[in-house]
Amino acid sequence: MSMQVRDLIKAVRGCKTAQKIREVITRESALIRNSFRKEDKINRPRNIYKLIYIHMLGFPSEFGQLECLKLIANPSYIGKRIGYLGLSILVTENQEVLFMSTNIIRNDLSSEDRYVVGLALAALGNIGSPEMLRDLAPEIEKLMESESSYLKKKATLVAIRTIRLVPESVDRFIGKVRTLIGEKNHGVVLTGLQLVLSIVKTEPETIVKFRKLVPGLVRMLKSLVNAGYSSEYDFRGTADPFLQYNILRLLRYLGEGSKKSSKLMADILTQVGTSGGISKNVEIAILYEAVSTILSIESDSKLRVTAINTLSRFLSGRHNNSKYVALNTLLKAVNTEPKSLKRHRKVIVECLKDKDISIRRRALDLVFGIMDKKNVESLTQELLDCLPKAEKEFRYDITAKICTAIEKFSPNDKWQIDTLIKVLTIGGQYIRDDVSSMMTSVIGRNPDLQYYTSKKLFNILLDDRYRNQTFLQVSSWVIGEYGDILMQKSEKDGELINTTQALDLFQILLESSRTTDETKYYILTALIKFSTRIEGYDELIKKIIKPYREHVNVELQQRACEFFLLFDYNEIRDPILDRMPIFVEKEIELEIEEEVSENINKGENNDIQKNTQIIQNQINVNQNIQTVQNTQNTGINELLMLNTETKKTQPQNKQDSLNFLQEIFSGSGSRSNNNNNNMNNNNNNNNNKTGGQGLGLDLGLGLGLGLGMNNQSQRQNQMQTQRQTQQNQMQNQRQTQQNQRQINQNQNQNKNQNQSQNKSQNQNQNQQKVQNQPFVVYEKNGIKIEMNFKVGNIRGTPAVMSIIKTTNISSIPISNYLLQVAVPKTLKAQLSQPSGQTIPPNGNGLVNQQLQIIKLVQQKTQLSILLRVTYVINGQKIVENKEVSNIPIFF
Amino acid sequence: MIKFILIVNKLGQTRLAQYYTTGLSINKRVALENEITRRCLSRKDKECSFLEFRDLKVIYRRYASLFFLVGVDEEENELGILEFIHCLVETLDRYFENVCELDLMFNIDKAYMILDEMALNGNIIETNKKNIIAPLHIIDQVSKKLK
Repeated sequence: MSMQVRDLIKAVRGCKTAQKIREVITRESALIRNSFRKEDKINRPRNIYKLIYIHMLGFPSEFGQLECLKLIANPSYIGKRIGYLGLSILVTENQEVLFMSTNIIRNDLSSEDRYVVGLALAALGNIGSPEMLRDLAPEIEKLMESESSYLKKKATLVAIRTIRLVPESVDRFIGKVRTLIGEKNHGVVLTGLQLVLSIVKTEPETIVKFRKLVPGLVRMLKSLVNAGYSSEYDFRGTADPFLQYNILRLLRYLGEGSKKSSKLMADILTQVGTSGGISKNVEIAILYEAVSTILSIESDSKLRVTAINTLSRFLSGRHNNSKYVALNTLLKAVNTEPKSLKRHRKVIVECLKDKDISIRRRALDLVFGIMDKKNVESLTQELLDCLPKAEKEFRYDITAKICTAIEKFSPNDKWQIDTLIKVLTIGGQYIRDDVSSMMTSVIGRNPDLQYYTSKKLFNILLDDRYRNQTFLQVSSWVIGEYGDILMQKSEKDGELINTTQALDLFQILLESSRTTDETKYYILTALIKFSTRIEGYDELIKKIIKPYREHVNVELQQRACEFFLLFDYNEIRDPILDRMPIFVEKEIELEIEEEVSENINKGENNDIQKNTQIIQNQINVNQNIQTVQNTQNTGINELLMLNTETKKTQPQNKQDSLNFLQEIFSGSGSRSNNNNNNMNNNNNNNNNKTGGQGLGLDLGLGLGLGLGMNNQSQRQNQMQTQRQTQQNQMQNQRQTQQNQRQINQNQNQNKNQNQSQNKSQNQNQNQQKVQNQPFVVYEKNGIKIEMNFKVGNIRGTPAVMSIIKTTNISSIPISNYLLQVAVPKTLKAQLSQPSGQTIPPNGNGLVNQQLQIIKLVQQKTQLSILLRVTYVINGQKIVENKEVSNIPIFF
Repeated sequence: MIKFILIVNKLGQTRLAQYYTTGLSINKRVALENEITRRCLSRKDKECSFLEFRDLKVIYRRYASLFFLVGVDEEENELGILEFIHCLVETLDRYFENVCELDLMFNIDKAYMILDEMALNGNIIETNKKNIIAPLHIIDQVSKKLK
């Protein structure tokens, strides 16, 4: 005997470990299952109750689903209540059970007891499937006109679900809106408003029609705002805030794009948007909704400014919640109201220092949003001020924003360099890689600033507070590269910088335990550059480099050895270490793109490099297809097949998948275009890298230390190429988005092509047809049996699900109806209980039954079914066998 | 639109869960609950009551040992939902007379009923406490008579 609910809960609570809980639950689940098997009617409600609890704890409970059905079919209210509760909690995806519940729910919807109807409605509202809702729509429609407001509001919410899941049913409910909104009961009005919202969202054309409601809504809102205290729906002094903000939200939809409607709302919006206090959450909630509405509809500029001012009031308030929503709303208004937003700069910047990270993040976005050429200097300074206190992740965000700000609005290169140096020193190592590449490229293209920058960096380097690795790397690169300029000019200016000092500094840094190996690479390179830039220090530099020839780090060792050797080849040392060419990003990119597209046009797709790219492309495309599919749950069978195939081949054999891909992509024009796009950006990436390598090779060739040199100069190039690749990555992202869209369009083409290639896909198409339309398997004596098929999966095995509908169009009722099904040995069939044994005449009713067929063997089989129909018509018993073998379903 | 309503205790154990989205398998559900609760419990008092989770916004509020979490879509009024949570708590409080974790555990059916009276299909239906509780009182009376 299983225990009481109370005892189960106590037992679980008493468990000290998760393992113990699992044991208790497993034991109890077994007992419950047993009890279900014995058809223990008395304990059924209790068992379901326990299952609800078990389900909540996260344990399996599917076996209770059918029992819920038995409970709701029970006339007792208490049983029904638990049954419906179980149904809406335990049954999630099981279409079968839902389908079987349809008729019981239909009965309950017409029950005399309004609480029973209420239960049925609640279950429908929470779990109703599209089929159920489509079937029951007439009943729901009727209940929306019911006298009881209790049922009316629930039915309206079911209607909303129906519209969401079965959009074409929207017309049915449009007519109901006016009476619902005109009701006195707040609950009904509230659901009515939500109904309009969902109609408007599904069918935007209806907005024009619903604009007629605006005056009424405005009146309603006015009376709520002016109502003061109403005992029934009072929330800390505010009359029904839920109703208020739902009206405001609906007004937003209706006012968008209509000057006339917006004008009608202006007065009340001004009143709501300016009068409310901001001390209580309720008040802020309404203000917030009003402000969003004002900013979305066609309101005049004065009202918009008021709205922005209100939000700014939120920002200076105490509540973090209101700050959060205000920042979010302001972010949306950044593009439309830049001027008035900028006036509130101070408050926004203040939010950067808030304790809450989510608020700071939003404030950062907003600060960036209001940035322009004029205020970039001061705002960047504000951001820099936040840097020292910010935590690691946030530092990364801030430096990223500063980089973008520099790219977009930098007034001059000197400012850019100063800012970047500040970021490098304050930001420490938690900064974006962009910073260093931006720095090197801006110095490269500004000969006038090379002295200024290197001097500044050198001076900061002397102060050991700022010696973070990124800064060390950048500064040693700059000082090495422009060492001659630095030394010559500083001598002229009488600065206290000289080469010995610089070399000493480098040596100290090299020996410091805080310097990472990677930074040491940069320093060594800077040293060797120094030897060509300034004469007379070769011996000293050699002395510094010498010990690193035996360093544990191989890379460092290699560099040291190569550099050391380089001193013996004076005639080539200078050209190798010559100044980096000025870096022009955009032109290079364009050239590469042209080159690549030319190559592709010529059809030179055969070298290895490109093959790998094709594989990459394929993976991209596959991912894209998958994502597209995920969004389109309707299940396009062909593509599903395609996908599973490719998924399998990918890891196993790249060549295979390549062939497969070429097959797919060697097709129509528009498709290869798409492919080209994809390839373009991949090639870009690669060419950039090889471009860098090429440079290095040119320098190193004929040296005898080819590879090493190549490495070294490549590294110098790296800083430059880094930036390029990053830009490309961004491009890639953009392009993949485009690709996704394109793939969306290309899906149809995909389908057609695959079909011609593959016979089984042809079958799939047929299958889809069958799935869409019911298949008549029997028609005699007015009895019509229709089946529709759906191919799917049950626990991993391919299966066909079928719903069998039997109707009787003759004028004689049919009784003792029984349908039996047999399938070949390779299949296994399972038929559910019919929804009834009698079929009323003249097509006034139907018997529903579900059939599930699972495949037992591996190979593809065609579906064939043997039916035996038994029924009594006119007192005469008829038994008939029929074989149905022409079903075009292969699975 | 509301996507889910969760009540968890401060140990992160779920005490009530109502989902308004379909197609969530039990494993995914447990993972989702764990993740959200973990993030929610780790937040400090000073921080705002909203957190972003995948494409959802989660609005939470703590009442003594219980956390009330509501997941909503982009459009929902966050502050309004906070008010809704408060309304839910007040209603539970009125019905159970000083509601506590145990009340919810031992009367989960009633708690679900209250929730169903207040919200359905992810939309709010009723916020008047008296109206919400009325049907429950009737049921209580009927079941007393039956006993």
